[in-house]
Amino acid sequence: MKGLIDGKRILGALSVFLLLFAVGCGKKEMVKSTDTAPGMTPPPVEAQEQISSETLPPEGTQTAMAEAEAGVAVTMEKPSEFSDIHFDFDQSFIREEDKPTLREVADFMKANPSASILIEGHCDERGTAEYNIALGERRAESAKSYLVSLGVKPGDLPTVSFGEEKPLDPGHDEAAWAQNRRAHFVRR
Amino acid sequence: MNRSAGTLFLSLLLLLVPSVSGAVLYIDINAPGGKRMPISLPDFVVTGGDAGLAQQLPGVIGGDLAMTSLFDVIPRQAYLERIVPEHFLARSLSFPDWKMIGAEAVVIGKVDVRGDQMTVEMRLYDATLGNLMAGKKFSGPVRRFRKMAHKFSNEVLYAFTGVRGIFDTEIAFSARPEKGRGKEIYVIGLDGRELRQVTDNRSFNLFPRWSPDAKMLAYTSYRTGMPQIYMHDLAGGTDRLVVRHGNSKSPGSFSPSGDSLYATLSVGGNSDIYRVSLTGSAVRKVVGGYGIEVSPSVSPDGKRVAFVSDRSGSPQIYVMDFGSSDVRRVSRGGSYSTSPSWSPAGDLIAFTALAEGRYAIYTVRPDGSDQRLVISDTGSCVDPSFSPDGRYLVYTLQKSGYSELKIASVDGRWRRGLFRGLQAVGSPSWSPRQ
Repeated sequence: MKGLIDGKRILGALSVFLLLFAVGCGKKEMVKSTDTAPGMTPPPVEAQEQISSETLPPEGTQTAMAEAEAGVAVTMEKPSEFSDIHFDFDQSFIREEDKPTLREVADFMKANPSASILIEGHCDERGTAEYNIALGERRAESAKSYLVSLGVKPGDLPTVSFGEEKPLDPGHDEAAWAQNRRAHFVRR
Repeated sequence: MNRSAGTLFLSLLLLLVPSVSGAVLYIDINAPGGKRMPISLPDFVVTGGDAGLAQQLPGVIGGDLAMTSLFDVIPRQAYLERIVPEHFLARSLSFPDWKMIGAEAVVIGKVDVRGDQMTVEMRLYDATLGNLMAGKKFSGPVRRFRKMAHKFSNEVLYAFTGVRGIFDTEIAFSARPEKGRGKEIYVIGLDGRELRQVTDNRSFNLFPRWSPDAKMLAYTSYRTGMPQIYMHDLAGGTDRLVVRHGNSKSPGSFSPSGDSLYATLSVGGNSDIYRVSLTGSAVRKVVGGYGIEVSPSVSPDGKRVAFVSDRSGSPQIYVMDFGSSDVRRVSRGGSYSTSPSWSPAGDLIAFTALAEGRYAIYTVRPDGSDQRLVISDTGSCVDPSFSPDGRYLVYTLQKSGYSELKIASVDGRWRRGLFRGLQAVGSPSWSPRQ
């Protein structure tokens, strides 16, 4: 790598040398052929040929993809008759204290065979947004697996991850983060 | 050894050519703190349009060159000669007048405006020798005048250093617009100007990634209510749905040829890395496992991929060789390492890591050696993306609810703010050369 850079330097130095040499020669001839005031360098006659042209395309306008109701709606917190369940930092296991909530969801689903519940997975704002999408997905899936183990049909439990995009608590401390590491259950 | 040998070689050349001493217009871009090149940027000649362009165009070039720390722009109040249309025909510049104020180089320009279209011719002269070092003519819409100036800044840098400039590159990112709770995709110039909004659907639009020809942005949008990957055509303003497969999805990086996208798709709650054909419909898993596999960044030769996996119990950076399928962990020490970005030369991977309670930017060689902390701050520094010349990183600085985009040299020593006008700015992606 280093060698390459230095090779370029030497090439650069060489080309500077060649350029100076070439210009030096050209200069004398041009001085002869044009009658310019002392101290004035003659015009670069070859300039026009050295100037290349480029055309820039027009810049794009805004997207043609208009807003859709469902897309705007997902940015709002949806009401739920069930409590959220919560997770440790960078974890997706079900906490003991959240198991009664999941049993409640499972009981509801078994009592309402036509019902469907969307499980949203969420993360706190720490870490990176793209990893948090994957982590939120796993939290939603963890809640789903537990519900399936309680006898709910997997097909009635779609999941979606919002990563860190929809914090319930807008704060920036551990209390807010703890609220935001959650799975949220939305009846559909 | 090589550096001093190069300098010595140059000095020897100078000794051999005494008549040109002081006229060596060559800057070593890798030697910070050297002598700066004094350059003059007189007002351009403008015919038929907004007279403001006379100063705006050289102003853009001056700003670009100042960013490199390699040039000193001589204040225009000192200039003795006014540029006239004849300077683009037969009349020479009065170079002694430029030398007298200390200029080693002069950039002149002539603008012709017709309606909303313009043509600008720009020339770079060596003030000592009076020769043309670079010349270029650009045509296009008047509203793209800054782009034309940036492109000529590239020519100026190249003429002095032999290194191609990146002044006309742009950074895509996501941020919360002034109204609404969603996020939109934006693009901004490297000089922090010309902010433009790319999406406008008031949903979550995330993770923009440039195609290798810089004409397309792949991104995730929740506009249907569920996350999907779309491709946005920047010139045409149209969007195309490219990935239906799986549950949540995020684009990681394009293949070097641009014919496919390495993306994270979640199937059955398990996030893995897939190669998605953009010309056909093929979707193939390339990195899988029981854990989270996310954020692919393909090497410039297309033979390896860096990605995040939590297979060890915490998220870490791994590199997989497509040929042998060998997987090697390259991040060490931290409990949380994410968002890899492979350098254009292929020699480094930048990533985010949590160390000592703080998110910071690290670099490491693709074989896992030479891991270095390069950018840390009082907040979190996350999501690095390399410049196309490999000399800079753009990243997000976050401090309890506040966030901004910053640019730093790859060693982290030089830093500058890029953008901080909106809430929740993040996921910056540096465009290829355009």
